Amino acid sequence: MTVTTAASNQPQAPDLRANRGFLLRGALLAIIVAIFMSLGNVNIGAIGQGLGYALAGVTVFMTFRVLGFVDLTVDGAFPIGGAACAILIVNGHSPEFAILMGFAAGALTGMATALIDIIFKIEGLLASIIVITAAYTVTLHVMQGRSNVPLLNQETLISRHSKAFRTWLVEQFGDQMRRQSTNLLEIMLFGMIVVVVLVILYLFLRTEIGLAIRATGKNSQMVRATGINHNLMIIIGLMVANGLAGVAGSLVVQQFGFADVSLGFGLIVRGLAAVIIGEVLLRPRTVGQLLIAAVTGMLIFDISRAWIFSALDLPTTDIQFVSALVVLAALGTPRLYDRWKTYRQRHGG
Amino acid sequence: MLSLDDVSVTFNAGTPNEVRALQALSLSVAEGEFVTVIGSNGAGKSTFFNVISGAVEPNSGRITLDGRDITYTPEFRRSHDIGRVFQDPRLGTCPGLTIRENLSLAAIHGRGAGFRRDVKQADDARFFAQLERQHLGLEHRLDADVALLSGGQRQAITLVMATLTQPKLLLLDEHTAALDPNAAEQVIALTQDLAEANDLSVVMITHSMQQACDLGDRVIMMNRGQIVFEIAGEERRNLKPADLIDRFHSLQDGTELSDAQLLG
Repeated sequence: MTVTTAASNQPQAPDLRANRGFLLRGALLAIIVAIFMSLGNVNIGAIGQGLGYALAGVTVFMTFRVLGFVDLTVDGAFPIGGAACAILIVNGHSPEFAILMGFAAGALTGMATALIDIIFKIEGLLASIIVITAAYTVTLHVMQGRSNVPLLNQETLISRHSKAFRTWLVEQFGDQMRRQSTNLLEIMLFGMIVVVVLVILYLFLRTEIGLAIRATGKNSQMVRATGINHNLMIIIGLMVANGLAGVAGSLVVQQFGFADVSLGFGLIVRGLAAVIIGEVLLRPRTVGQLLIAAVTGMLIFDISRAWIFSALDLPTTDIQFVSALVVLAALGTPRLYDRWKTYRQRHGG
Repeated sequence: MLSLDDVSVTFNAGTPNEVRALQALSLSVAEGEFVTVIGSNGAGKSTFFNVISGAVEPNSGRITLDGRDITYTPEFRRSHDIGRVFQDPRLGTCPGLTIRENLSLAAIHGRGAGFRRDVKQADDARFFAQLERQHLGLEHRLDADVALLSGGQRQAITLVMATLTQPKLLLLDEHTAALDPNAAEQVIALTQDLAEANDLSVVMITHSMQQACDLGDRVIMMNRGQIVFEIAGEERRNLKPADLIDRFHSLQDGTELSDAQLLG
């Protein structure tokens, strides 16, 4: 018995040493990005935008990495969440309630994909394409037949505090801060929301259900063998993941000041890029690290894109092309690097 | 305890690729009995396991476990009573999760996953004791990713996971075939130890005639989806691998001949 008590006395709390390398890489990255942003004259608005989209990156992480499910639903869940949020705000509901409903709308979209996959045995890729196609119409209906719902003069998370924050900022730091006030406010508010959501999601992934969801993506055969309904885990996993896309949609809608039916276009690629950028730069291992990496990846994506825009002085019409280039760089660079390494080995350095 | 009555499974029925994997197979396994199953590739051994575990639904017949009809019970529901270990060591454990997380997942068995913490300190003593019995030193590596373990170590953990919540029946599908001889021997010793300690009924598929003679109370030979012979009692106790190989070959020759006749 002495041995067993010794075992149960072992510390279970995450040990700092395991996180040290990760934290060091994170700090180094933050410094590099800060230097890069000041030299490249990148507006801090890019960080606010990255934070708005960050949870959509977490969606892609949850579906592709945790559930091992090729799911494009994020392209549909994001605008549906945004549309639900916008229409509720326009109808006088509080922004907080609207965001929660954005989550619900996204979650239902994810459930549709999961059910198509399970009932009809249509694989995730096709199931989610079917759902995105239908989601377009649903989004239009949510927005009461319009393709765009403006949030001008409505109370959003940002507009609610923007006047008071601007006054405070100018009082404290002088008039030159006036231009950045909305950007700073976005970074603070969205930063807080993203942190809170990540903490909740982390705690969820560390429950038994969370463990079962993580195992489902790795070895669904084993999950069934341990008496867990793996279909239920796919449903829950896709609902949570796409619910987060709905929250991201709700945040971005309030940031842009309008909801639009085409808001989710190309989001899946962006999310994938975020996940891969985060993995390559931070090399995360544990669940918590992986979540942080996905969010960081989205921030880096937005900052790099903003830098390309300011460096090349491009018109906004080129935005999707530049996005595609950033994604290509994120996906392609690690592979090219591997090929270069094997080439070097083969040819003796 | 376990009984199969006239269980048939046909894949791709009505097409040129029709495979009659099980043909009216009947078998019963008593409580605490250890049965070994031999047979050539394609004899239907894996399908036989798949219908018991619920991965494949039979076209006809009835399967009961402890008097309960489980013929169409979903796989995840009957897994509480049926532990299973596969040939491929990668199938039984989950890579990317630690040993502790894998065992915790197995411990959820039967009561359903909830909002409790994924790994619980209260379980540690139990996991430690179970792993310690194996003398592989894994009890000190609870936080190691199972992806880093050898095949033998992963099979050992799978065995612990399969028996952690005391199932009634343990299905072993050539679970030592992918291991080196040393690891295979260790895993077999573990298997016997766990089966006796938990008083389990065990059905084990094997390609090793030695294992078929050394382990268990009864040997079953399968061919073409049917049980072609059973050896139990006195005959089984005196059985040597050479005898089995002879019977195996005589049967093989017979089928080849009939194939030739059919085609000729």
